[in-house]
Amino acid sequence: MSELSREDLLGIVRDVWEERDPVPEHLVAAMQAAAAVAASDLDLELMELVERSTELAGARGSTAYTLRFVHGDTDLLLRVAVDGDRSRVDGWVVPPEPMTVRALPGEVPAPYAAVVSDSGRFELTGLPLGLLRLRLEPHDASRPAFATPTFEI
Amino acid sequence: MTERLMERRRGATRIMTGIGAVRPAGPADEVWQRATDGFNRWVAGESSGLDDLVAVMTPVLWHVVRSYRLSESAAEDVVQTTWLALVRRRAAILDAQAVGGWLTTTARREAWRVAKATNVAVPADDQDLAPMLPRQRSAEDAVVQRDEGDRLWAAVDGLPERCRRLLRIVAFENRPDYRELAADLEMPVGSIGPTRGRCLAKLRVALMHSGATGTGEY
Repeated sequence: MSELSREDLLGIVRDVWEERDPVPEHLVAAMQAAAAVAASDLDLELMELVERSTELAGARGSTAYTLRFVHGDTDLLLRVAVDGDRSRVDGWVVPPEPMTVRALPGEVPAPYAAVVSDSGRFELTGLPLGLLRLRLEPHDASRPAFATPTFEI
Repeated sequence: MTERLMERRRGATRIMTGIGAVRPAGPADEVWQRATDGFNRWVAGESSGLDDLVAVMTPVLWHVVRSYRLSESAAEDVVQTTWLALVRRRAAILDAQAVGGWLTTTARREAWRVAKATNVAVPADDQDLAPMLPRQRSAEDAVVQRDEGDRLWAAVDGLPERCRRLLRIVAFENRPDYRELAADLEMPVGSIGPTRGRCLAKLRVALMHSGATGTGEY
């Protein structure tokens, strides 16, 4: 007779608790509503593109250019470098502020994120080419997140 | 319950007759992947991503939080606090794969805090009374299901309390942080692994004695 495996046993434990102490019926809907309301306070504010420069093509067909966005007192400088079918973004937030920067390429959500350093620098590497926008999420929870308009790499 | 168990048995048997080292992907793996997908979509601006994340993780949070012996309403509050914390502190989650773990950890901390503050020491709450309530099933099913279900429940419920709590957390979480678990259960860190093993062994024996799963075909 084979022994019940660890996974079998934990599966039984799950089944038993799901049956004996089920999630209250209303709970999921209530939590979805609560989370949605809280999230709606996080409406994004859009940064404004104020400068864009193209640099000469570099070695091996790589190119780079810079972008500058402004939102309130925050300046965001980006240097976007393309190498083959990937790109990297070196960013500089002025004045420096603790925040998380996320890259949102195209329609497909992807896990590109970085934290701004004490000097305001961050980098995102291995990004796919195409449409991209960056969202900046201040760690100071009282500050709303803001995002760049979509730009093309 | 019976059907689900039979299904697992069949699945498990198949695996066992194959390569011994390969374990079937538990439902937990799928839950965690769906949570990550939902989070990614939400971060990308789709509000339905947040809905999906909440739908897939709320049941997990419920079971984790309830293992702290909180009442139903206190447990609901803890789950809600956890979701609000996620929305406010989304920037703290850099690795989308970690969102499930972040949620369960946050929920456990909050549950522990609330349990401590309210000094919960009331074992006879609704979860202990639930088995005594009549359940509505078709008459035919009822005989078999209650039989099987009750035996499984008796085996789990008959475990020492520490085992019951530890196994419930481990069953619903994905690789919980042993350091925090140890503090919550007032056990040394190094003993969590061995204790889990002993608890599983106790459950295995209890199930065999109850006859719930120890039949010849297994």
